[in-house]
Amino acid sequence: MAIGRTELIWLSLIGLTLVGALLTETRGIGWPLTFTVAALIAVKGSLVIDHYMEMRCANKRIRNVLRLFVILIPLMVIISHGWGSFVRELTTIY
Amino acid sequence: MDRQALNKQFLLGQLESIIPNAKLHLLMLANSTIMNISVSQTLPVIGDTEGSDLERVPGNSGIWVGIFCVLVEFLLLFVVYFVAKAHNPEAFSSGPEKLHSLAGTAITVFLLTSGYCMVKAVSAIRENKQKTSTKWVILAILFGLGYPIVKFFEIRWNVAHGIDGETGVFYTVYYYLTLNHLVHVTWGLMGLAWVAFRTGLGAYNSENYSGLEAAGLYWHATDIIWLVIFPFFYIMR
Repeated sequence: MAIGRTELIWLSLIGLTLVGALLTETRGIGWPLTFTVAALIAVKGSLVIDHYMEMRCANKRIRNVLRLFVILIPLMVIISHGWGSFVRELTTIY
Repeated sequence: MDRQALNKQFLLGQLESIIPNAKLHLLMLANSTIMNISVSQTLPVIGDTEGSDLERVPGNSGIWVGIFCVLVEFLLLFVVYFVAKAHNPEAFSSGPEKLHSLAGTAITVFLLTSGYCMVKAVSAIRENKQKTSTKWVILAILFGLGYPIVKFFEIRWNVAHGIDGETGVFYTVYYYLTLNHLVHVTWGLMGLAWVAFRTGLGAYNSENYSGLEAAGLYWHATDIIWLVIFPFFYIMR
């Protein structure tokens, strides 16, 4: 079987998953881990959207909504790590 | 709008970006024989077989309504995760240590490989290779079945180690989110089984494959959601 673009994307996704699996061996949640996790979600999500779903060459509105999803979640990861107390105050009912 | 018209529109757009007022110049030449060139072979090829069509809605409109509903549903569940985490930082930082990270990794690999098989199935049907496409969809189902099987053993392992839905807030959110995702994966697998059956019967061909593509898109959407769930519960410790 020839190695085409689809195979390379699949290999990249599996490789990034294994990087994520190696991170489970790390101890302690710091900014490096938070940024790495946020980047992994954004990169892997974008690869699936652009190549598996072929959104790179499809309707712009649909593509933008999907991309927003994989940008919004990493942002939430960063916010929850850096500003957890703010989120707690914001969501506390007195 | 037919494909040739779309191709011409795309080419005009490209020319406009290089030559100002390109459309005007082309209009002046409209009656000349120069415009009789064929543009169908000049477009870039994206992916394996996909032509560039920037307004194309892959699959069908209905599947996108379903996909966006699922994305909104999980977005709300992720908000619940973040709120619960903000209120219980200790539980969420120590929680993943007790979970089976190998199970989470295996599920990710199964889903991504299954998604790859669906990409190949759609590529094959575009080339009118119905038998090949059916084989790829069946492979996608087999890899996809790895998810519920691993999940079954993971939950058994969890229960054996005293982890259930009442162990703590982290595990309550973990069970709620992952089992909810499992339900969506089950719908996806049922959809794949249906399109495998129809592809085998010859219902799809290079001209008509929106049903097969729609099932694949839903399947990829469940991939994306799992790619978020995996680090939330298995990595961020």
